[in-house]
Amino acid sequence: MDPVLKEIYSLVLPAAPYVLAAYGILWIGLFGYVTVVLRRLGKIEAELRIVEEALARRA
Amino acid sequence: MAMDRNRLTFAAVVVGGLLTTVAFVLAFFVAAPVLANNTLTAGGGALIGGKLITNPVLFSQKIFFFHVPVAITSFVIFFFTAFYGVRFLMTKDKRFDTKARIATEITLVFVALTMITGDIWTRYEWGTWWVWEPRLTTYFIMMMLVIVYFVLRASIEDEERRAVYASAFGILAFLDAPLSFAITRIVPSGAHPVVLRAGGGLDAVQLGGFLIGLAGMLCFGYAIYQLRIREETAKERLEVLKASLEG
Repeated sequence: MDPVLKEIYSLVLPAAPYVLAAYGILWIGLFGYVTVVLRRLGKIEAELRIVEEALARRA
Repeated sequence: MAMDRNRLTFAAVVVGGLLTTVAFVLAFFVAAPVLANNTLTAGGGALIGGKLITNPVLFSQKIFFFHVPVAITSFVIFFFTAFYGVRFLMTKDKRFDTKARIATEITLVFVALTMITGDIWTRYEWGTWWVWEPRLTTYFIMMMLVIVYFVLRASIEDEERRAVYASAFGILAFLDAPLSFAITRIVPSGAHPVVLRAGGGLDAVQLGGFLIGLAGMLCFGYAIYQLRIREETAKERLEVLKASLEG
């Protein structure tokens, strides 16, 4: 490889896939956290609706 | 009103997801890498994409497209810990304590992300995992204060006392956030770069990517906060209804 290009890319290529993967994982992790919160909320609100209906029937 | 807020929260999740996706693509696949200040030791230069490159290219600079928006979001959300702490101490309304607790919880998520993404930066940029320099140290202290906030809450049984102590601690802990933000300007000799400054040398794509990432992260922060508030409110109501169902 051309020595100039080798020096330019030496700072780019070795790190690039790892940095990209690390940031991708963290970014997906944040999406995952939002999804977990959404699912948990959905469950609690569903349970809340059941209890409210039970109370309404009793009334 | 609640319906509008739910729609806004859902919109924030979608917009946050879209904007952070665009920022990620811009950062890693579109924006040009930042050129190092030093010229090539091999001499001369090379034509890349029709442009003569005479400096080494720093891929590691790209991490600030994600790292800085996450860090700024952590400061913004931590502000609400202090804000609702003050509101609680003024009114003794339990809702404000819940809001402060949730804000701190989300701060911890963004602080953890900042620390991990920052460490990746440190490793590639400075060749080491950690440096005890002013920005890193003040941010590390902020992380410790956020953790201590939860330790403090867990150690006090009485609900009223717990809320008062946590509010006071949250307000004091937040004082570290502006210090950590400004420390690179107060102590400019530190190793951490001052990212947000006039004439920062970013081109339109780089600046655009950064601002889109910041807007996306703030949307995510807002959405997670609102979702957690909804969850807590639903939990409290569920407990009350269950008690009346059993009673």
